[in-house]
Amino acid sequence: MTLPRTYRAVGLTLRKSPVGEADLVSSLYTREHGKLEVLARGARRLTSRLMGHFEPLTLVRLSISRGRSLDIVAEAEVVNAFPEVKAGYTGVARGLYVAELVDGFSALAVSNPALLDLALQTLNAIGANPDAPDDDAGANFPLRYFDLQLLNLSGFMPELYRCVECGEELEPERHRFAVGAGGALCPDCVTPEDVVVRSLSLPALKLLRLLHRTESVERLPRLSIPNPVQREVHGILNETLQHWLDRQVRSQAFLDATKLA
Amino acid sequence: MTTDPTPGTTRSLGQLIDRLHQLPGIGPKSAQRIAYHIAHIADDEARALADAIVAVKDLILFCDECRNLTDASPCAICANPQRNRDQICVVEESRDLVALERTRVYRGLYHVLHGALSPLNGIGPEDIHLPQLFGRLQNEDNPLQELIVATNPTLEGDATADFIHRRLAGSGIRITRLALGLPVGGSLEFADETTLSRALAGRNQLE
Repeated sequence: MTLPRTYRAVGLTLRKSPVGEADLVSSLYTREHGKLEVLARGARRLTSRLMGHFEPLTLVRLSISRGRSLDIVAEAEVVNAFPEVKAGYTGVARGLYVAELVDGFSALAVSNPALLDLALQTLNAIGANPDAPDDDAGANFPLRYFDLQLLNLSGFMPELYRCVECGEELEPERHRFAVGAGGALCPDCVTPEDVVVRSLSLPALKLLRLLHRTESVERLPRLSIPNPVQREVHGILNETLQHWLDRQVRSQAFLDATKLA
Repeated sequence: MTTDPTPGTTRSLGQLIDRLHQLPGIGPKSAQRIAYHIAHIADDEARALADAIVAVKDLILFCDECRNLTDASPCAICANPQRNRDQICVVEESRDLVALERTRVYRGLYHVLHGALSPLNGIGPEDIHLPQLFGRLQNEDNPLQELIVATNPTLEGDATADFIHRRLAGSGIRITRLALGLPVGGSLEFADETTLSRALAGRNQLE
């Protein structure tokens, strides 16, 4: 059976790169086909009918023709441009954090619609509170929820209920966490010397479990979590994401450098 | 990077093709075409091209005031007493300054950032010429009334404009942004919703 010459897709633009005089290559995460890279011919010309459709963090509906190396955009229509997210640099930086991680944790043409839904829900949550300080739970929780659910949907969910060494159920006490070993450790278990182990407080473990069990970002409870616990959870998730990405999360470094008090 | 020459070509041509291919917007085919063109032009033309490249690297520097590329600091615009010193227009690249100068409408000064904030590429405020802009504005002799932010209407350009706006809030300087909307010769039917909503927000009364 031959593939149809054109196909449709709805996807979130993750990044774009200029090519040639006026073209660009857009990387999108689509519901139907997973991550795609498509060529938008002439999209950088001021009078192009494709101009403005491929800014990162835009949900677009596309009609695409199959090309020899890259598929080519025939038509594009904006479904949601997330203007609230793009209204200020903090919203942009948080939105691009989502885009960078979706890009980093997805492979070309492997569909995972739940990952697109997670990204869109997180962008809506960012847009609802774009100027909240970084240590505000309203800004922090949706991003940490995204971190953990991204690991979950990508098959890298850290173990939070049993010790990764002995397999025993974790007791309600202070534990340890080892990214290289795959999750939480009970206080007595010994890990290989090359595995970096950090402490894991009980409140942080409970918060991680809450993020894991909550069905969607909209259902996150409004809790007042002390800043040290938020920072501990952020540190654990950031370390885990970087371990699997095998590089620094660049937009996180930007967020740290331009931190809102 | 020097690789073995492609069969049918020479080592020097291969090196030139490799070098040209590293330039922005030049693909392997274009690099090959330009390299063969250079091989065919007269010796003095080829030397003039090489001399022009070397001269740019030897002579060009940043203007101490506006950070534009210049061969003498301050640059011709900053040194011109006819320019309005109470207006500064912030642009991402020197070529944006050239585009604005072509309009012959703007008579103020400039500040060239040489980039825009880009979280995805790890480019923060310290990596572009933002500290120099803020330092310039802190100068007590500075008569600035208006700062025109002319960064590109992209995600990165908008984020940079917002960052500048927030940093200078309360400074008493009027901060403006270039109008955003439909291009001359464009078509309303095909405009994306962000462009259209910005065009609507920035509509003018007909006079």
